[in-house]
Amino acid sequence: MEYGRSSASRNPQAGTPPPSLDPRFHLAAIIDSSDDPIISKDLKGIIITWNAAAERVFGYQPEEIIGQSILRLIPPELHHEEDEILRKLQEGQRIDHYETIRVKKSGERFPVSVTISPVRDDTGRVIAASKIARDISDRTKTDETRYRLAAIVDSADDAIISKDLNGVIRTWNEGAHRMFGYSAEEMIGQPVLRLIPRELHYEEDEILQRLRSGNRIDHYETTRRRKNGDKVEVSVTISPIRDQSGRVIGASKIARDISDRKRIERLLVQSEKLAATGRMAAAIAHEINNPLESLMNLIFLARQNCPDGSKGNRYLLTAEEELERVSHIARQTLGYYRDTGSPAEIHLHDLIQNVLTVYNSKLISAGISVDTRFDDLQKITVSKGEMLQVFSNVIANAIDAMPHDGRLAISARKLMNAGSDGIQVVVRDSGTGISQENLPKVFEPFFTTKGDLGTGIGLWVAKQLIDTRGGQISISSTTEQGKSGTTVTIFIPFALSGPREHAIPA
Amino acid sequence: MLNTVSGPAFSPDESVRNLIEFRSAGSDPVGPQPGRRKVLVVDDQRLIADTLSEILEGAGFHVKAAYDGWSALDAAGRFHPDYVLSDVLMPRMNGVELAIAVRKMFPAAKILLFSGQAGISNALLEGQKQGFEFELIPKPIHPLKLIERLKEQ
Repeated sequence: MEYGRSSASRNPQAGTPPPSLDPRFHLAAIIDSSDDPIISKDLKGIIITWNAAAERVFGYQPEEIIGQSILRLIPPELHHEEDEILRKLQEGQRIDHYETIRVKKSGERFPVSVTISPVRDDTGRVIAASKIARDISDRTKTDETRYRLAAIVDSADDAIISKDLNGVIRTWNEGAHRMFGYSAEEMIGQPVLRLIPRELHYEEDEILQRLRSGNRIDHYETTRRRKNGDKVEVSVTISPIRDQSGRVIGASKIARDISDRKRIERLLVQSEKLAATGRMAAAIAHEINNPLESLMNLIFLARQNCPDGSKGNRYLLTAEEELERVSHIARQTLGYYRDTGSPAEIHLHDLIQNVLTVYNSKLISAGISVDTRFDDLQKITVSKGEMLQVFSNVIANAIDAMPHDGRLAISARKLMNAGSDGIQVVVRDSGTGISQENLPKVFEPFFTTKGDLGTGIGLWVAKQLIDTRGGQISISSTTEQGKSGTTVTIFIPFALSGPREHAIPA
Repeated sequence: MLNTVSGPAFSPDESVRNLIEFRSAGSDPVGPQPGRRKVLVVDDQRLIADTLSEILEGAGFHVKAAYDGWSALDAAGRFHPDYVLSDVLMPRMNGVELAIAVRKMFPAAKILLFSGQAGISNALLEGQKQGFEFELIPKPIHPLKLIERLKEQ
């Protein structure tokens, strides 16, 4: 073998070799057995040779196409390519893996990767060109599918991540970037644990265990961590990724941000609770306030039967005071003010001024300066009793926050909102402020920052009354030294919302 | 019946504290006495109607108690009250319906509604639709404050 080969290569021009050794036969056989079309053409673009694969791929028999222009294989709009190809060939250049479109006899177009080489005569002059055209339809299809999938993955709102079985991140889409704040460069190659809050790290072990056994994990709700440390509530679906042999080599993970949904769920639960509380309050009011009325009358009568200054009289007086306290709480919590008096058209600033008059002595003794700016020139229809309670509660809170001097600024102005004009009142104090963790709770019933001095119902009641009136109340606060204080903003639209139905127990 | 308590005529304008003296019940006086203003107290909670009657009597008013809207209306026809103090949510005829009927009968009578309950806006709205507005005060109310309110009327 070794000898035969070396002798053949050593003596290429030693006479005509036997056909079995003639390289031309070999080359012809190779060309005809090639899977890729191999064509040659002269410098005018006339086809000279046409192999079996060319026949199969393009659909022309050799006798149909040899002697014809190569342009028959090129879509009309790409004919200019041929000029370019011929120019390069004449310069003796080779054209490698040039991807373009060609046309079959049937008219069907298909993508090809073409390699064109000059064919030279003995003198080295370029006389023709050989052309190998590989049909890349399959590859293009695969590529297209891949690009399309990549585009879908990147345009998804959900975070789509893949990781290997060691929990190392392999791919990271735009959604993941948006959700977690890390870019692909930052995360690829990093452990997925970076996204999992420390106290939930055990989850990853369980996930990997289930993946290895080929199980999928559907809509698993959990918490993940953003780059800035914030928590994000997600619903995660994790599926195993397999190689061609079916072996699990990693996992794809689709995480959907459900923070909004969770927040709405919590709000719904809370408003359900409040509605139930309200219904209960209305029902209890009847059962509490009537006996209270009787008790008050009975104690009053009993006192008349006890001599002034007697022990009995003093006991009854104390009992009466205690009863006043109970009555006060009952009035505040059981929503009495909602229904006292029908709505009237008033200037809101008159009402606020009334409240300030009531608190005047308190303001003076605490050394609080009051600054009012009233530009609410338009009257508004409100229930006076309800609004008195709202502003009393808010202003009383401001005073309580400033035991030793301070500044209370109250402004009222007309606000033009699209579709809803109204009056906006801002009550700002320079008091101690409310800490960030307490701020979201101030509208909850029985939440107070005043210890034993607070009932925890003032702002809750205020919010209920404002909500019922179709308005909004919001609060902001800072405890930062030097600029601490709380601002309560109340907006009441001029338009009346319909009267809310209350359940009336028989 | 507490509204049959008799005694010397008290002017409601005198200091309440001095007025509250209790006398043994006597016979039913014949008709209203001059100077004593007449109050019709209506509440389906008898204890409230009765105690208030006694208190108001003690404060110098001439009082009749009724325990529902219908009997109150019936009593009003004979009693010609200067004031009607009525609960709102009562069986058969509520306080607003009673107040409207009384106002039609005695336009000069002062009407004060009181209630221990939120959720009576519907009854009040019904009255408003017919063009009637009534003052409403919350229960419980201290007797001295109630007496003040009646005198303001």
